[in-house]
Amino acid sequence: MPTLSVEHVARYRSTLVDDADVSASAENAPMRVLLIEDDRETANEVIAELTDRGFEVDWAATGIEGLDKARGANADVMIVDRLLPGVDGLTIIEAVRQDRIRTPVLVLSALGAVDDRVRGLRAGGDDYLTKPFAIVELVARIEALLRRPTESRDTILQVGPLELDLLSRTAKRGDRDIELLPREFRLLEYMMRRKDQLLTRAMLFEEVWNYKFVPQSNLVDVHMGRLRRKVDLGDEQPMIHNVRGEGFILRAPA
Amino acid sequence: MRLPEFIRTTTFRWTLVVSGAFTACVLLMFAFVLAQAWSYMTVDVDGLNAGIAEAILDQDEMTRRIERLDVYLRVDPHNAKFGGLFAADGARIAGNIESLPPGLKLDAGPQLVSLVKIDGTTERRSVRAIARRVPQGGTLVVGRGDYEITWMVRSVERALVLGLIPTLCIGLATGVFLSLRAQRRVEQVNSKIHRIVAGELRERLPTRGAQDPFDKLAVLVNGMLDEIEALIRSIAGVGDDIAHDLRTPLTRVRVGLERARQNARTLDDLRGSVDQAITGLDQSLAIITALLRITEIEHGHRLGGFRHVHLADVLREVGELYEPIAEDKRVAFAVQAKEDMVVHGDRDLLFEAVANLVDNAVKFTPEGGRVELSLHGRGEEAVIRVCDTGPGIPENERDLVGRRFYRADKSRCAPGVGLGLSLVNAIVKLHGFRLGISGWPGSGRPGCCAEIVGQRATASTCAGRSGCKGAIGLDSTRASTSADGAPATVSG
Repeated sequence: MPTLSVEHVARYRSTLVDDADVSASAENAPMRVLLIEDDRETANEVIAELTDRGFEVDWAATGIEGLDKARGANADVMIVDRLLPGVDGLTIIEAVRQDRIRTPVLVLSALGAVDDRVRGLRAGGDDYLTKPFAIVELVARIEALLRRPTESRDTILQVGPLELDLLSRTAKRGDRDIELLPREFRLLEYMMRRKDQLLTRAMLFEEVWNYKFVPQSNLVDVHMGRLRRKVDLGDEQPMIHNVRGEGFILRAPA
Repeated sequence: MRLPEFIRTTTFRWTLVVSGAFTACVLLMFAFVLAQAWSYMTVDVDGLNAGIAEAILDQDEMTRRIERLDVYLRVDPHNAKFGGLFAADGARIAGNIESLPPGLKLDAGPQLVSLVKIDGTTERRSVRAIARRVPQGGTLVVGRGDYEITWMVRSVERALVLGLIPTLCIGLATGVFLSLRAQRRVEQVNSKIHRIVAGELRERLPTRGAQDPFDKLAVLVNGMLDEIEALIRSIAGVGDDIAHDLRTPLTRVRVGLERARQNARTLDDLRGSVDQAITGLDQSLAIITALLRITEIEHGHRLGGFRHVHLADVLREVGELYEPIAEDKRVAFAVQAKEDMVVHGDRDLLFEAVANLVDNAVKFTPEGGRVELSLHGRGEEAVIRVCDTGPGIPENERDLVGRRFYRADKSRCAPGVGLGLSLVNAIVKLHGFRLGISGWPGSGRPGCCAEIVGQRATASTCAGRSGCKGAIGLDSTRASTSADGAPATVSG
């Protein structure tokens, strides 16, 4: 399996870097993250990691402080712990949403129950991550929130030579037709809407399969393997890349 | 002063209330009888007096009248007879009364007057008397004292004393006895409960084998205690299991990290060890996640989200999800769901249960083996069966399968947490379905089958449940939503 290093992956595992394109998100002004988290150590880890990746992180250790900063509304994305001293995480999100602040919110929680997750999303959270989490998972989800695909009216998605017709539900790579099963079609559509982003297994399982439980087998890998065999033939430049232990990225061939 | 304990018991209070009511009834009854007797006797006495007066006045001569009156008055064992003949000027001629009683009207109806006998010994205040005019001048008075009535009141009093008081005493004694008995049982139960609360979970409430409500309650509570004890034991067991299954990967992580710290020569060596450590930690986390999930299902109140679930859809989706895995592992995988069955349940959870069974089956079936997922009806029930040609589960261990962390020894080497079946069990229990493990039906093939058996939903299952409305009629939309393999929207 080809291993690719894109910017954020490169930042995370510097040893994997084999191309010089490490400009990160520094092209524009750095993205601002508001982190509302009461545990100092977790906060420090997250801040260090996000700062390394070129984010600007603002930290609030209590719910009240967090609510103030969230209302300041100059963050691009918020990470909110579910259980905070003072004000509950969900209350903050609800308050912020009532103020018509649409900043995407990632809810962090030690409560992993499905019902709790539903509550978090219903309160206005955009994504939900259970503690303990892999830092890669957190970063991948933050990036996904920041680069959320706009609901385009295009009926044809295009990444490099890859073309997906949403109306006729057909896929092509160059001139070659690709036969896809319904689920593979959804998987490819999801990846094409988020090209160049690291998509973790959990994200794919939640979004493409809609399942809330974590299967024990390497289900996503096997399905991804099948899709890849259809998209990337032996003599073609690979487009679906496996980032070892972390997830998958769809990129146009260089 | 502190009243004895039993007085405060409900039984005793009820006894008091009932005794009081009983006494009041008896008194009322006696009063009624007394009043009736009184009026009857008054009429009787009046008649008697009138008769005597008539008989005396019937005599033509005064001497005969006097004689007659004397005869009447002579026999008077109860000292109740009164009578007197008076001249026109009011002087006494004969009889046993001193003078004409004032206020007694001549030739009027009977009256109640006060009379004094001539010897002065007896004065009666309430005497029924009449006065009649004597034809040759003068007045005849005939009266009768209240001896009968007094006697009657005395009899009633005696009857009350002899009848009511013992009755009341017996009633109160019974009350006290019952209260003490009830109180003793309550005290027994209390002391047992105190012991149970203090941690003696093996204690049970005393029962007498009688079918009284108290016994039934005790049996019920004991059943509850059995369940609680079993739960606590299983939790304690789970504690050990968790300790074991968490320790194993954690120990490996620890040892690996220690060795890497001492022996790693290059950054790559170290990185490799760290990767291994992360894998070990992820395994531990997976165990915790699975445990929490089971707890969530066991304690969840998700019944509200129950809808009609089309099992054929669930099976097809699970098949679609696991078919590539089976193929990768070179395990033949067949899904058979010719006839759709509808059950009442939570679609996501049922999917998770079936997926777990298939996951296990595929995992434990060696290369070249076979896994079959099928759906069929059996009477009023729907049966989801997952069969595999894996190592199987020994007959004597089949009941244990639902226990947390159970994993047959033969498959102990296969990766996995061993919580899959516990999860399935929790989901199946939540639905009121059954989970069964058996061999392949009707053959000596190696391997085993897991079956989820559940009641099929009928129209009546839905009656009164708002959530089911229209669920059955969704076939057309269902077909379109699931065309791309998305979970149908039937679930909650």
